[in-house]
Amino acid sequence: MERRVVITGMSAITPIGHGRDPIVHSLQDGVSGIKPLRAEEFLSPYIHSKVYGTVDYPVEYDFKRNHRKTMGPVAYYACQVAKEALEQSGLTEEFITSGRLGVAFGSIHGSPTVQRNIYRIFFGATDKKAVREIGAVDYLKSMVHTTAVNITKMFGITGRVISSGTACTTSSQSIGYGYESVKFGMQDAMLCGGADEYDTTTVAVFDNLLACSTAFNETPQKTPRPFDKERDGLVVGEGAGAVLLEEYEFARKRGANILGEVIGFACNNNGGDMILPNLTGITNTLKLGVETARINPDEVDMISAHATATKMGDIIEAQAIHAVFGDHPYVIGLKSYTGHTMAACGAIETIMTLYMMQDGFIAPTLNLEEIDERCTMIRHVQKVMQHPVKTATIQNFAFGGVNTILMIKKFS
Amino acid sequence: MTRQEIENEVINVFQREFEIENPDMDADLRETYEFDSIDAIELLLAIETFLETEITQEEKKQAINIRTINQICDYIENIARKRNLLTPA
Repeated sequence: MERRVVITGMSAITPIGHGRDPIVHSLQDGVSGIKPLRAEEFLSPYIHSKVYGTVDYPVEYDFKRNHRKTMGPVAYYACQVAKEALEQSGLTEEFITSGRLGVAFGSIHGSPTVQRNIYRIFFGATDKKAVREIGAVDYLKSMVHTTAVNITKMFGITGRVISSGTACTTSSQSIGYGYESVKFGMQDAMLCGGADEYDTTTVAVFDNLLACSTAFNETPQKTPRPFDKERDGLVVGEGAGAVLLEEYEFARKRGANILGEVIGFACNNNGGDMILPNLTGITNTLKLGVETARINPDEVDMISAHATATKMGDIIEAQAIHAVFGDHPYVIGLKSYTGHTMAACGAIETIMTLYMMQDGFIAPTLNLEEIDERCTMIRHVQKVMQHPVKTATIQNFAFGGVNTILMIKKFS
Repeated sequence: MTRQEIENEVINVFQREFEIENPDMDADLRETYEFDSIDAIELLLAIETFLETEITQEEKKQAINIRTINQICDYIENIARKRNLLTPA
């Protein structure tokens, strides 16, 4: 059994805004969400990269204490976007709690804020009283599937739970595995996405790997610079994105407003190096994605590239795109607006792509001033374009050699 | 420590930790206030802090059947009595 899978709800909290209007305006006006790295007492003074994709506006929550008690900052983000996606879908409480809806949601490592507090107690312990300072709920707030199960608890969702924690492919896997769950009839709907909270340990890891941007500390909005000659690495960011996937006939019969369609997904592994991008692995992923969507590569109008703005990553991705799609589709790097929002990036970039499909424009890659000569073989976008997008891909690649591609289509 | 002080502190804990104002002392906590096992563990920690004493694992297991705030107060009173913390009425 293979069923069509459509999108009937979506929401994102990003460094360029929360919800549709501010995000679309930022994409159209070229507004960057990169800000100076916030000072904290742990790592920030020692990190070379001083920039961060920051959610610097207040997000209003109205969660009851009964829900808040098991939520760290990452779960607040996750539950808020999940709530908004559910509301937009118009699904009834009866359906949401029926077991026909599942959740696929993750973060790269739960809540680092809560984990830091646990270790602060651990390393400061001088007697047995220290054990009591670790809250009974700290594990529930910090565990790797904290986003998924806080969502199920808040909305009474009783279907399957998938909680990938595959770094930068966390939420693209969430959407992909959610898509497969609905496509093959295991669930009638899936609430999918990812979230990550403000965290400097992630910056430190990439900083130590010399993968972070450091040359634009005084002008944060000038970095990251995907595919640009002057790019010098990624910028870590925070945020969350959720999409509600639903079986097409069910959505149609209940009169749902259909926002787009997922037509394909592929995931594979490079089978080797955990860090270096791999041309063969990525190229194979893109080919598999096209095969699952049962389309020709030249039907793809736009590609949301992973494009973290690392030296090698962008070149390998450009080569893979060219090998599979040629120079026909427009290619954009949305992390130039938000930084690398880690577990959230696949979902956020999917939502941004859907906004562009709906409004008929393509946002340019910010800071792409002089294209690296090793990346010129693909069709870059340097100015906002009014242009219809019918079919698009969202590409994400993660440490550990995990590669994903999502194929989405404007609903008609 | 008197029974009244115990009751006042438990009401304070419910307001401070569980955001429950003016709780009904005999209401079923789970049914009325969605009080669950996580809250029970947090409550035991709050009781330890209040009594400035460690509650043994055995004593904690006895708290499993508690359903109302009055029963919580009975439980605390019992522990306080065992440790000679209670002022005779």
